[in-house]
Amino acid sequence: MDRAENEPRDEGLARLLEEDPADLYENAPCGYLSMVPDGRVVKVNGTFCAWTGRHPDDVRGRRLPDLLSAGGRVFYETHLAPLLRLQGAVREVALDVVRADGSVLPCLVNAVEVRDAEGQPVLVRATVFEATSRRRYERALLSAQRAAADSEARARTLQQVVSELAAAASAEQVADVVVRRARSAVEAGGAGLWLADPVPGKRVEGQPVPVTLAAADGLSAELLAELATAAPAGAELVRSGGVRAAPVGPELRQRWPGLAATMTEAGQEALVVVPVSAADDRHLGALVLVLGVTDDSELISLSEPGTRGALSPADAELLATLGRQAGQALERIRLYEETVRQAARSAFLLDAARLLAAPREVGETVEHLAELAVQQLADVCVIDLVTERGLVAPVVAHADPARRHLVEQLRDEHLPRRDGSHPSVRAMVEHRTIWARGVDPALMELLSTSPAHLEVTRALELADLICVPLMVEGRPLGVISLGADARRGRFTEADVETAEQLALQMSQGMDVAQRFELESRTSHTLQGSLLPPDPPEVPGLALAVRYLPGSRGADVGGDFYDVVPLPGGTDVALAVGDVVGHDVTAAATMGQLRSVHRALLVDRPRPGALVERLHDSWPLLGLPRMATALFATLRPSTGELRIASAGHLPPLLVTGGRAGLLPVSPGRVLGAPPGPAPEWSGRLPAGASLVLFTDGLVESRTADLDAGLDRLRAVAEEVAAEAQGPVDPDVLCDRLLAVLTGPRRADDVALLVLTRLCGTAGDGTGADDVAVLDPAPGPAGPAVVPAPDPDLADALDGAGGDVTVSGDAMRWSPARVEPPAPAVGFTGLDVAAGLGMALGLDPASVRRLVSGALHRLSGVAGDVVGELRQLARDVRPGDDEDR
Amino acid sequence: MLPGGDRDGAVRYVRSVSAITRNCVRVSGPEAGRPMLFAHGFGCDQTMWRAVAPGFAADHRVVTFDHVGSGGSRISAYDPQRYGSLRGYADDVVEICRALELTDVVFVGHSVSAMMGVLAVAQAPELFGALVMVGPSPRYVDEEGYTGGFSRADVAALLDSLDSNPLQWSAALAPVVAGPGNAEVAEELAESFCRTDPTVARQFARVTFLSDNRGDLPGVGVPTLVLQCSQDAIAPEVVGRYVHEHVPGSVFTQLSATGHCPHLSAPEETTAAIRAFLRRIES
Repeated sequence: MDRAENEPRDEGLARLLEEDPADLYENAPCGYLSMVPDGRVVKVNGTFCAWTGRHPDDVRGRRLPDLLSAGGRVFYETHLAPLLRLQGAVREVALDVVRADGSVLPCLVNAVEVRDAEGQPVLVRATVFEATSRRRYERALLSAQRAAADSEARARTLQQVVSELAAAASAEQVADVVVRRARSAVEAGGAGLWLADPVPGKRVEGQPVPVTLAAADGLSAELLAELATAAPAGAELVRSGGVRAAPVGPELRQRWPGLAATMTEAGQEALVVVPVSAADDRHLGALVLVLGVTDDSELISLSEPGTRGALSPADAELLATLGRQAGQALERIRLYEETVRQAARSAFLLDAARLLAAPREVGETVEHLAELAVQQLADVCVIDLVTERGLVAPVVAHADPARRHLVEQLRDEHLPRRDGSHPSVRAMVEHRTIWARGVDPALMELLSTSPAHLEVTRALELADLICVPLMVEGRPLGVISLGADARRGRFTEADVETAEQLALQMSQGMDVAQRFELESRTSHTLQGSLLPPDPPEVPGLALAVRYLPGSRGADVGGDFYDVVPLPGGTDVALAVGDVVGHDVTAAATMGQLRSVHRALLVDRPRPGALVERLHDSWPLLGLPRMATALFATLRPSTGELRIASAGHLPPLLVTGGRAGLLPVSPGRVLGAPPGPAPEWSGRLPAGASLVLFTDGLVESRTADLDAGLDRLRAVAEEVAAEAQGPVDPDVLCDRLLAVLTGPRRADDVALLVLTRLCGTAGDGTGADDVAVLDPAPGPAGPAVVPAPDPDLADALDGAGGDVTVSGDAMRWSPARVEPPAPAVGFTGLDVAAGLGMALGLDPASVRRLVSGALHRLSGVAGDVVGELRQLARDVRPGDDEDR
Repeated sequence: MLPGGDRDGAVRYVRSVSAITRNCVRVSGPEAGRPMLFAHGFGCDQTMWRAVAPGFAADHRVVTFDHVGSGGSRISAYDPQRYGSLRGYADDVVEICRALELTDVVFVGHSVSAMMGVLAVAQAPELFGALVMVGPSPRYVDEEGYTGGFSRADVAALLDSLDSNPLQWSAALAPVVAGPGNAEVAEELAESFCRTDPTVARQFARVTFLSDNRGDLPGVGVPTLVLQCSQDAIAPEVVGRYVHEHVPGSVFTQLSATGHCPHLSAPEETTAAIRAFLRRIES
């Protein structure tokens, strides 16, 4: 390029550059301002004036901050001025200059402080650049940044909600999460979640759905109350459609004036309703938020009052999503809870079935069922059974021990007075389930028969009540009432179904049990009526009798006893017996046997003869059962005693502090082919007692007969020792029953105890007083002095008689002989053992001896007796010689 | 670790950083001198006091510090919850006094820090002997029956201007704003005296301009001086008068200094006014 060619241009440029400094200042491409240190403008260029539309006089003399927007003013004072003072310069400070017409000119400002020699500020020079595009760009950037931040916040909220909902294990937790997160996401003044009550059946169009508040945050009590009032109708509004925001305006004021007023009072400006629905769009409830003043922050809200009710579309979208998430979580939890409940219900019904299957009395079973019901199905359970007097004294139970006294009060005082309007009575009368579906104060009053009753009902906090009749073949057996209290909440359809299944199980179980009990009660009543109520007064004797029916349901026995003063007045006949079987037939047979026995006594037969006559007449009587019995005659004046046994347990003699079984040969059971009934005779010493009993007293399922007989002897001796003289028969009876029988008797017990009183006529100090059993103690049991010849001989004769055993008599010595002996040996062994004991021998060695002998001699009891006689002589030769 | 009495009486531990480190506390002057605690306002840091505080160090125990988030404070100690209201800042003031075992403190607070002083005195009256408020405002936003000087829109615009300003953009955007190749400028901006974390600055601005402490004024139980500047665009005279009227027994001194920062623009006048007040209450 040619240098010469460029010359003229350079010259032109030089001319151009030699511009007027004043013009350069005035028309520079930026604004110039000069200020004194306090900010007052002292010089301004034309560019600034042109940009701002201000006259230089309008600018000069004013402080720079006064030319700025409010934000700029604050920034000038808090940042720009201090920085100038501290640093001497600022660069690129963004400020908004206000034009004459009020519009804003975005600028960037550079400024330097001119200082004097001492460093004191003398002037501030500032250049101002227009930065509209740049600021627009910055604002766009900023708004994009904020939008991104908001979007991120929404995404974070959603993420948090999803993860918290996944961890929620109950509807309450779901509600809490949604309410809290939704409120914070849109910075609402408050939020609450209302859920539609699960109402069974099809919803009736136009009928308000009852709703319940599940969680709330930031809503005052007044606002909650107003919202609750508006909720049922409000729920209709959101049944379809999305999120709705309703400002507190004429519409809201007209529809819910109270709500609008309360919201205005609380500084809330809009109501936002978000539907909460399940995946299949089923409406579950609504999330309600109020927008306006938030009390959470101590800071003043930036938005002007009147502009706080706005909801951005993005926030509305977020709320809608939260509503859907909440709905799905609620549905999941409901399904889960329903599954758990269903499993619990099945388990409950199974438990109930087990209870019903167990052998118990109806009353006991019902009590157990009531307890089971309050453990698993309800808080309160009342079971009424139909009695002759209607519904009285129901069985009650409460899940909370602290409230048990309340239901007991109901049972004792209030329920007996209920009338036909009570749901339980209606259930009985109408033969159908009555579900109160929410117990309100009105129903509580209806249920109550008195103020005291109402008080109890209120204290129970009953929230729901189901009454299900117990029906069998259209006949009501009773009614079961289940109550849920406020803490449990209302019953569900499934609960009612479970209650009905329980009622069905109970009805069937109770029907069987009640029939069974009826039969049992009839048998016992019959048996009771066949027994003599009280033994007669017999001079010279103290008598006591007891009869206990078996405790197992309908098991009744044919046990009996009898005491009959014989014609002539000197003797008294005694009897105990046991007809085979435990039913009404047994009881009836016993009654007949007793009648026949009494009839035969007219001839005053000896006991042996009595047994023979009974044997003989048995076929004629047509009695369907066999029986064992013990018959005796006693002359109280002398103590003369005769006993014959038809396969029955021998009586117990208590004398001189000792007790032992009398060696009465058992003879054959009545109803078996007749056989001889050897008669035992002896003398009952004055002051001695005789115990006649049936096997129920000494036999149990858990211990063998020997043990029972041992205990019988031991107890009798105990009582004798305590009495220190003649034993009171009543005392002995009671003690024997108390010790030997428990509350669960398998069998009946008949017990007759008599004591021959001292000082009876003819009972002096003569030979009559020679004791049958010697009270002198020996080391291994009651030592026995051989009785005077006739007595002892009789005793031994009796023992040595026929030892045929059959029927019931078999039962009282099942495991006595080892090794196994023929059946014939059983009774003989017992008798021998008793006799040996009477002779002062060790029962065990006698048993061994006799057992061996029986084996060898194959049931020839006479020889046994011979051996025993020899034994007795060997043992007590001196005694024998003395006599 | 310093236990500080929370306003509900519970002891609260503030991280493991001492209040001294956390707030970049600087102490000068004779140990026996009456303590004066200078608290800077919104916008800068303790440097703001450099023309005033040293003058008092001759006969006072002078303590200056930075609010958390400003100047040399520990930004890591910034807890949005704690500093979401002026009470958190007032707690810091009390903690500093306790850490230094100061009593009978003359608290000198500029702008928003004047209200921190009000709260600190109410919280721990045993620590403070006098209160000097420089350009105080108990509430910036106008309300029916009250003039604070700003509408909500003004404050919103202010918050926006904070967002747009390079000082606040410094950390991330200073190089962009300064333009490539202009590293020195960027450096300078970042190293500015009044550097402030942008997020903290915005929060602090919210707390400053959106607090309402009018209700706390009548509870001030120590001698109080209200220093009012002329032509203060942030705390106009009507606001200073309001404070004076509502703090029982307070002294009102009108400065001829203009603007909002008399301690920078007119340090001598400011110092003289404070000394006059101290003489008055100490005599």
